[in-house]
Amino acid sequence: MDTLIIQTLNSIFYAAVLFLIAAGLSLIYGVMRIVNLAHGTFYALGAFVSAWAVGAVFGASSTGGLALIGQLLILPIGALAIAAVGAVIEPTLLRPLYGRPEEYILLVTFGLLMILDDVMKLVFGGTPLSAGSIMDGMGSIRIGGLLYPAYNLIVIAIGIISAVGLWAFIYRSRFGVILRATSQDRRMASALGINVGRIYVQAFAIGCFMAGLGGAVVVPAQAAVLGMGVDALILAFVVIVIGGLGSLEGALVGALIVSFVRTAGIQFFPEIELAVLYLIAAVVLLIRPTGLFGRA
Amino acid sequence: MNPLDRRSFLNKLTVGAAAAASGSAAYFAGPRPIQAAYKPKGNIPDKPFKTGHITFLTGPANLLGEPGRKGHLMAAEEINAEGGLLGRRKIETILADEAAGTDANVKELRRMKLSENIDLFTGIVSSGNTPALGPVAEELGVLTLFNDGCTDFLFDKAVPKPKYVFRVTNIQSADGITSAVGAAKAWPHAKRVASLQPDYSYGRNVHEHFMLAYQKLVPGATSVSEAWPKLGTTDFTPHITKLISDKPDILICGVWGGDYVAFYKQALRYGLFDKMKVATTLAFGGQPHAIGKDHPEGVLAGAHANYFFTFPGKGRWPINDSFVERYYKRWNEYPSFEADGAYTSLYLLKAAVEKANALVGGWPDDDAIITMLEGMGIDAPSGYTYIRPDNHQGYKDAVIGMTKNDPKYEFPIWDPESIITIPIRDITAPPNWPKPGQGHNESTAAANWLKTTWLT
Repeated sequence: MDTLIIQTLNSIFYAAVLFLIAAGLSLIYGVMRIVNLAHGTFYALGAFVSAWAVGAVFGASSTGGLALIGQLLILPIGALAIAAVGAVIEPTLLRPLYGRPEEYILLVTFGLLMILDDVMKLVFGGTPLSAGSIMDGMGSIRIGGLLYPAYNLIVIAIGIISAVGLWAFIYRSRFGVILRATSQDRRMASALGINVGRIYVQAFAIGCFMAGLGGAVVVPAQAAVLGMGVDALILAFVVIVIGGLGSLEGALVGALIVSFVRTAGIQFFPEIELAVLYLIAAVVLLIRPTGLFGRA
Repeated sequence: MNPLDRRSFLNKLTVGAAAAASGSAAYFAGPRPIQAAYKPKGNIPDKPFKTGHITFLTGPANLLGEPGRKGHLMAAEEINAEGGLLGRRKIETILADEAAGTDANVKELRRMKLSENIDLFTGIVSSGNTPALGPVAEELGVLTLFNDGCTDFLFDKAVPKPKYVFRVTNIQSADGITSAVGAAKAWPHAKRVASLQPDYSYGRNVHEHFMLAYQKLVPGATSVSEAWPKLGTTDFTPHITKLISDKPDILICGVWGGDYVAFYKQALRYGLFDKMKVATTLAFGGQPHAIGKDHPEGVLAGAHANYFFTFPGKGRWPINDSFVERYYKRWNEYPSFEADGAYTSLYLLKAAVEKANALVGGWPDDDAIITMLEGMGIDAPSGYTYIRPDNHQGYKDAVIGMTKNDPKYEFPIWDPESIITIPIRDITAPPNWPKPGQGHNESTAAANWLKTTWLT
């Protein structure tokens, strides 16, 4: 029973992080039809920036309630930094290519992935960075005979708040209406006096913010390691293949499916862990090629 | 063969002792009388000696690749400072990133040979890559000293009769067996075994050889839990919960590099280390400072059965003292087993070239260098390393110890009281033992040897 509760929490934790990454990827695709291969790298960059900022301001050994609150407040810096990076990259690197075939964007974002990987190694060094003092400061809660880190509950909460917030933002706000209008018909939106360029920068920055936030919240629990972005990118693609490219609900449901199935696989059939996610993706593609919530 | 029996095998292992010093420390760079340098015979061209070095420059495996690169470059710098190989040929290095993937590595090796015309190929961390690169190196006829990528499969199956290909660090099956011996010595009553392994050839190899050896050392031991995370996993929480739920006495963990750092940090917060003993094969396999002081003490920390820089300890093996000192001075960090292996590789080459030159004069051709490498022994920082002629594989006594924090370092080291060394011939199949497909179908020659003869 304890194991069941913890594994459920593990799954929701993992789904929260996956949702943050996949939602950003899906949002950017939904609005601009850009498949951003550097998205996982933005997630990794968010993790490195946050871990670095927490370490730089507080040092490795600071303890106490005040320091803990300070560290938690500093943590989102990674997300803000990545949003800023996104706001620079969209108009400079991507916009000149909108008139061209999609392959150009794929190539440019893939190049960006490799450049950013090297930049991260250059700036932050090759050894893993961690903001583990946050985890240690918050301690663990006891569930039956087992321990569960209290910080992971915060990540779960952030995942839920982001999902609700993003939904309200897109479906209940004026900006959301403009965003959806632009995504449906860019030329018509432009003709109606919407500054499409500005919408694009904002949407891209929001997508990047989500990726950076994913990295920022995950870094106290794991560690920022080189190469973490590639793995995240592949998982995010599995999520949106299952959920449907460009769909927010799809990202949420896809993230939940991926993480629960993965956990169940690990618990009951450890040998198939590698294959199981791709299996679900393959089945979904066979039955619903556009994904569960995708539009044709 | 004199089969060893279990009890005397475990009892005769030395704990906390240093390797016996033998031979001369003068071969490596560092302070030494000038006449110790070799005086070459005949005419030596001053053409640079080109080496291709592929290792992980990016990704979570960079923790292993980086020290390999640094060990290689340091050896090249030292040799070049004395004028180069045979005092004339300066070593140049072309680097490439192993993280590009197996196919890209094979293409890069071809490119290095065909368009850069390298004289020597070195490096490689992953066991997924050496079996692909080995046959290509043989086909191209490029002298190759793999640093790691230590899968048994390379010389068991992929290149069963190597000519150009050698490998310097210990064979992979020795890794799982070394951890089994260390664990059995420390926790002789831990019978319920859980296994956490990366899902590719390395993890499979560790799991199989650990279990084979451990079941002979701890009668009644059974595997009660397995987890097979993908290489590059960062979220280990479901694995950790599963392992705890199966209530093992001991965990054998072959997860390595950045993955291991992520694993131990999560395992700490889930209380895994309080619930079971933990044995690893590669906790001390990366750059030493990658592991923080939050890492629990009393964990059996593997160094790929090869080397960790605090052993042989200060004053016990001058070659290591001096190597660690120079490495720290050059790179501002401490060396790992990859550093020792890459560094020793170039000195093995240097020794072979000099021996061949002494016999034939001039710059020796590859055949002459290969003949000298076969059966060559060298006193390396880690101890005595020997290249066996039948399979071109390097052998050195295996070593493992328990984690302990020491105020002198920013990271845990081996508790000097806990270190055990295992004579390598006691845990590896002897020369010319039947390979898989020759009368048995085990995954490795070592597995067959373990099953049929090891410990009675």
